[in-house]
Amino acid sequence: MGSYKSVVISAGRGGWGGPLTITPTDAKPYIYSVTGGGIHPVAARIAELTGGTPFDGFKSSVPFDQIAVAVIDCGGTARVGVYPMKKVLTVDIHATSPAGPLAMFITPELFVSGVKPEDVKEK
Amino acid sequence: MLSLRTLKKSKQLSEIVYSTTVTAVGELVPDFADQGVLVFFGQDAPIELHEFSIIHTPDVVTRAPQVGDTITLQENVYNVLAVGSVASDNLLNLGHLDLKANGLSEPEMPGDVNVEAVSLPKVNVGDRLIVTSQTK
Repeated sequence: MGSYKSVVISAGRGGWGGPLTITPTDAKPYIYSVTGGGIHPVAARIAELTGGTPFDGFKSSVPFDQIAVAVIDCGGTARVGVYPMKKVLTVDIHATSPAGPLAMFITPELFVSGVKPEDVKEK
Repeated sequence: MLSLRTLKKSKQLSEIVYSTTVTAVGELVPDFADQGVLVFFGQDAPIELHEFSIIHTPDVVTRAPQVGDTITLQENVYNVLAVGSVASDNLLNLGHLDLKANGLSEPEMPGDVNVEAVSLPKVNVGDRLIVTSQTK
């Protein structure tokens, strides 16, 4: 307990939403990378700075209520909305804005986009 | 099948560059189709993506769609009008395709693959999606 730190994640160039403050807890330890090809560098940096547990969503799944933040590389339709819909804080690598069938769930309190590793800062 | 046969006849120089078979259809897929979007993902997609996704297992993975290709789904043939910058990586790495029937010649979002603004069919398990190159 108490070994986690917070980071602030701001929208990158052309991005939207945020900033989000991410603080993993024992109940919500996972930095959930839903990017394919392993843990994305943004997810790796969030995990490194916070002490959270990096997790590859394309290998297996964890319950939504254990996810501190979901990192996605969504081009704007599907993954971009599903995690905000479940009230999971969501970081999109691509500079997307709310759109698509799930756009109503994408809010600046839950979602930030266009994020590069340098947009993740210690709080 | 008639239009498939017609397609083959009229496009002698065409080549299948991607083909795949639907293995599962999420319960929200019809809602997305009503909004002109079909979302495809490969078998490894996290379970939370399955409810609005068409899950599929490809057998030809030469390349992703390009402008000028056709996409055949059931007996329907669509012309690819625009392809977003990450659409190819999405499809080849994750089996992920955002197929949008919006008639736009510019992608609205980097994952988009746009075709004509037509109503999309009800997709069923066992349906085939085939991407055919028309440029030779």
